[in-house]
Amino acid sequence: MSIIYVLIPIAILFVAIGLCIFFWAVRTKQFDDLEKEGFSILFDEDNKPSAKQPTKESTKPNDH
Amino acid sequence: MTAVPCFHCHEPVLTGSRFTAVLAEQTQHFCCAGCQAVAETIFENGLSDYYQFRTESALKVSAMPEHLLAELASYDHPDVLADISRQHEQLTDIELSISGMSCAACAWLIEKKLKQQPHISSANINASTQRALIRFDSQTLPLSHILKLINTLGYQASPFVADNEEHVFKQELNRYLKRLAVSGILTMQVMMLAFALYFGEYTGIDASHEGYLRWISMLLTIPVVIYAAKPFVISAWRSTKARQMNMDVPVTLALYYTFFASSYATVFQTGEVYFESVCMFTFLLQLGKFFEFRARAQAREATSNLLKIMPVTATLMTEQGPQSTSARRLQAGDLILVKAGETLAADGVVHEGSSSVDESMLTGEYRPITKTLGDTVLAGSVNHDGLLTINVTTPLAHSRLGQIIQLQQQTLSQKPKLVEKTDKLAKYFVERLLVIAVVTFALWYFWWNPDRAFWVTLSVLVATCPCALSLATPTAITCALARLNRRGILIKNAQALETLPDISHIIFDKTGTLTEGKFSVSRVIPLHEIQDDAAMLNLIANLERYSEHPIARAFLPYFTHALALENIQVKIGAGISADWQGQHIRVGSAAFCEITPVSEAMVYLRMGEQPMAAIQLEDKLRPEVPLLIKTLQQQGYQLGMLTGDHSSQAEYVSNQLRLNFMVKGCSPEQKVAEIQSVIAKGAKVLMLGDGINDSPGFNASHVSVAVHSGTDLSKNQADVVLLQPDIGLVAQLLQGGNTTARVIKQNLGWSVGYNLIIIPLAVAGFVSPYIAVIGMSFSSLLVVSNSLRLLKK
Repeated sequence: MSIIYVLIPIAILFVAIGLCIFFWAVRTKQFDDLEKEGFSILFDEDNKPSAKQPTKESTKPNDH
Repeated sequence: MTAVPCFHCHEPVLTGSRFTAVLAEQTQHFCCAGCQAVAETIFENGLSDYYQFRTESALKVSAMPEHLLAELASYDHPDVLADISRQHEQLTDIELSISGMSCAACAWLIEKKLKQQPHISSANINASTQRALIRFDSQTLPLSHILKLINTLGYQASPFVADNEEHVFKQELNRYLKRLAVSGILTMQVMMLAFALYFGEYTGIDASHEGYLRWISMLLTIPVVIYAAKPFVISAWRSTKARQMNMDVPVTLALYYTFFASSYATVFQTGEVYFESVCMFTFLLQLGKFFEFRARAQAREATSNLLKIMPVTATLMTEQGPQSTSARRLQAGDLILVKAGETLAADGVVHEGSSSVDESMLTGEYRPITKTLGDTVLAGSVNHDGLLTINVTTPLAHSRLGQIIQLQQQTLSQKPKLVEKTDKLAKYFVERLLVIAVVTFALWYFWWNPDRAFWVTLSVLVATCPCALSLATPTAITCALARLNRRGILIKNAQALETLPDISHIIFDKTGTLTEGKFSVSRVIPLHEIQDDAAMLNLIANLERYSEHPIARAFLPYFTHALALENIQVKIGAGISADWQGQHIRVGSAAFCEITPVSEAMVYLRMGEQPMAAIQLEDKLRPEVPLLIKTLQQQGYQLGMLTGDHSSQAEYVSNQLRLNFMVKGCSPEQKVAEIQSVIAKGAKVLMLGDGINDSPGFNASHVSVAVHSGTDLSKNQADVVLLQPDIGLVAQLLQGGNTTARVIKQNLGWSVGYNLIIIPLAVAGFVSPYIAVIGMSFSSLLVVSNSLRLLKK
């Protein structure tokens, strides 16, 4: 069982990394507007136009 | 008539094929030129994905009148810009409030459009607060240009200055999030280790392994007690200093005593550890506090749009001609020009011109008031149709509007104090618990068994750990908040929920609260034989389309089809005339139509030389009101009405609903006085209102409720905001308050009863620390699951 002397510290390291990422996310205001961010994944695919509504992308490309 | 929906706003197209456009090789129909222009702009900019992903249809675009567009330029004046923006090195940061947004796709649309501009370095649109944060170069790109850009997409943007308090709220919310994450994530880790220790207790565990797991648990608990539990410590410290013990005192004591005892046990390898209890307890309490705070912060953000009330700019008449200036810089004696649709920027006297003015912002009454030469006008009121030149008598800060806002801030400190029942109980409980703990320690140390003194005292503290007691109220309130929120009732002040069961009097505002706050046609009095009422109302609606006056809107529902009108003339404050089928038609006041006035009628119709009809208008009761009033009366509430309206309609409404008392013609100060006199008689008052004139009254009453259509200022002040246009929700709110009170009572009953049984046993030393933990966890779980019942109903 002496493996726990290695595995638990590693687990704690991951927890610490996770917390750091969460703090960073809060600091960069990623929790301010949960509504819009849910949509961003849909919109960022606008480079491949759907069959139903082809867009005029070629004339005015979007900047990202 | 086939009702093809408009491609942009999904409203039925009534104009046939007048507005069509070929978009993406398909012909689309529009209801108006505004929607068509917006859709074309969106496609031209390659933003057509908006139509694919939006979840709500757009609002109908009402094109901004030319003169208002030109007026946006007043924001470009350096003085004005400095008042409403912040400078960030070379660039300018500005916050805009955007109206007309219906879903997240709108936010995306505006953001994309703005980012296509070379001089905008960043643009961030928040869909839930409907605000935009834009950083741009004001030297090369004027602000008015940005506002126009947003306007071409069919939204209205206006500059917004967030108050300081809101900034603090936002930071605090982020801190709450972080603390919640720390306590939540670490609780999971410590629980995991605790399970290993539980099993080790029964199946045997190496002393070295046990010591290792304890050390790790302690290490993981340190951030929880130091960082996540900090607000409890601070609050406990403050309350002890003020000699007013609150619930946070026993919470802090229990947390830290348990933590240090467990640490002692870890370091000296003796006794028991309770790190998991410490973590879990902190997490659960944090969760409740977080939800409460988030509800408050959201309500604030969504409603603290004070700048929409306070006018920003004004047009100053100088020797060089009209010039735009910042409203705050106006002085007494200045002459300002106010066009139709503008908000007055200062109190003053009409110097030139005449118009009808909407003072609903100040009086709560929607009936427009005609102002001519020499009449006094008030800042914050809206000029409806004419052009006014005003001689400023009082600058904005000291105007009537400024006074009301000041009055409201004064009454804020006079808010009736809500007795915090749990805090009172806590104080009582903590004092006795501390005495018992000290006595226990002394008894064991000096007389019975000095070796066991420390551990028996610990088990007394753990067993009686005020978990259940301190969770009893917050969990019940959190669940009730969530449930009411789902129904469309936003509770900003959780204490209001505890006060609801004690409410004895309910006071309503009339206009906009009990009534709809807009005119509608109540009766048509024929003055001549009329064949067809509907056709006649359609004729009036056709003429009234050309008027900006609020009365004109009453006829909108009667508009069925367009008639060919010629030679249309609008006479401000009087009426509209036009030629139709060779007849001269007049719609408007009795004098304008040259008809002898009929009682209570407000609009008249004259065709050629023949008077045709007089039309009575009224501000109708909201449809749900009679049922609500009946329900409340059956439940034994005293109902009253305080209104700023002087007219006989106040009595009519009061008699119709059989209210217990009614005072009409109230100023905001009188409303406060009336409420205070009711409170002085020992009543607990709930006030329901919508306007700025109600907000001082809000602070005077125990619980205040702002209706859906209320002004931002009133929503900002109220304890409770109704999110749906249905004041019947008040009955649900009161019922929710009663259920919550019942659950809190059950919770408190259980936790106090449990403590009464366990304390003697623990003092006598019969309760081993493990049993103490099980007892504590069980009673906490019971309390939490009892509270969860509130969510389901």
